[in-house]
Amino acid sequence: MMEHTVASFDEDLNQVGGLIRDMGGLAGTMVADATRALTHSDNALAQRVVSDDAVMDARQRELDTRAIALIAKRQPMAHDLRAVVGAIRVAGDLERIGDLAKNIAKRVGAVGESAAPRELSHSIEAMADLVLEQIAAVTEEHDGPTLARLRDDDERIDEKYTSVFRELLTYMMEDPRNITPCTHLLFCAKNLERIGDHVTNIAENAYYVLTGEQLPPNRPKVDETAMSATAG
Amino acid sequence: MKPMLSPEMTVAEPVTGKAKIEVKDLNFYYGDSKALKNITLALPERSVTAFIGPSGCGKSTLLRVLNRIYELYPKQRAEGQVLLDGENILDRSQDLNLLRTKIGMVFQKPTPFPMSIYENIAFGIRLYEKLPKSEIDGRVEQALRRAALWGEVKDKLDASGLSLSGGQQQRLCIARTVAVQPEVILLDEPASALDPLSTAKIEELIDELQAEYTIVIVTHNMQQAARVSSQTAFMYLGELVEFDRTEKIFTSPREKRTQDYITGRFG
Repeated sequence: MMEHTVASFDEDLNQVGGLIRDMGGLAGTMVADATRALTHSDNALAQRVVSDDAVMDARQRELDTRAIALIAKRQPMAHDLRAVVGAIRVAGDLERIGDLAKNIAKRVGAVGESAAPRELSHSIEAMADLVLEQIAAVTEEHDGPTLARLRDDDERIDEKYTSVFRELLTYMMEDPRNITPCTHLLFCAKNLERIGDHVTNIAENAYYVLTGEQLPPNRPKVDETAMSATAG
Repeated sequence: MKPMLSPEMTVAEPVTGKAKIEVKDLNFYYGDSKALKNITLALPERSVTAFIGPSGCGKSTLLRVLNRIYELYPKQRAEGQVLLDGENILDRSQDLNLLRTKIGMVFQKPTPFPMSIYENIAFGIRLYEKLPKSEIDGRVEQALRRAALWGEVKDKLDASGLSLSGGQQQRLCIARTVAVQPEVILLDEPASALDPLSTAKIEELIDELQAEYTIVIVTHNMQQAARVSSQTAFMYLGELVEFDRTEKIFTSPREKRTQDYITGRFG
């Protein structure tokens, strides 16, 4: 895009864009580290995720301050206005992703070295891989069709969650000693699924910033866990 | 039972409403140079339309065509049609004095006459209507009230119009315009010489006046266009680049040239 006549306006916008990229990168690292800490029972790594979350919160506060100052000082219009408002909203989603990753990390100790079936870690890892793929794509992709597809891809994460949920139920029914670790793992899987929802929000926002149009509201939503719970 | 809220969005409406003025294939010339190129647009009744664009884009020229004020100057001519309620005001048979009672104009710099506040308003009324003094008094008060100036000047109606502040002078000019009961008000940069508070008063006034009048405003201040208008026309090099609802123009314009201009990338 052409540069502004007032060059410092571009600098202000670039700073906001830079913060969003930093937060996106940090969100990806936190989710990857939290999953790894969980599957490898790595308490030190889990601790790092917890401290990274404080960095994420600070970045979001900085972004809010800069974005609001930019609106007050520059009165952005059209694409610039969409970009600044979009950044504030995306930062909110990224900050929530950080919180959910931290929540996974905090459960590492509770799941510990317990007898919880090791196979499960593969299912959760596979789910996390999907989520990480989405986070990477949403922070890098900047064309409308990819962003629209990315939102629809959330369905794959929902399906994975449903299958992990069923697996966990089976283990808990097999042996009541599995109930504590499996409940924690269930929360972890749910957190990953919610991270996927935040990625969807980010894709919708990025699409609006880019095109000025909202994506149509009808997105297929698969949640079969309610049925599984009653069937179980 | 309460009705369900619809998930469909309702913001993306085009410019609608009965047209008060329709401009059709309008071309305008200053001597040999063409200042407006094939302009076609419809201005909805009782609503505010803003013309924006960089200097020399033709926005003020277009405004000046709407009441044929350009005819005061030699070698300026317009081709095409400007229909006011379906009647072409560019017709030679058009009575210009009558036209200018229907279409009033306020300029960038306040232009009060060097006479009392009262006479500034009464003068125009007497030109067109023969009324007893008591009725003229009523019309002067009504005009000053509509221009949100009555409270500030009611005790000094005999003072000179020139003794007022810039913002008050501009509101006096608006009062003078509404006193002859026009149908359309043209505003050419009405607040560009005013301080922020006076500007806010003028904008509040525009907002109130649109219930009764069709208003067209030319402004360099894009935030002002965004604040006061319902639809905005962006002009560039004598062409109408884009005409749409103001919300649409300032959040997601269709044309790249509009986007570049309103985001401060040229102009």
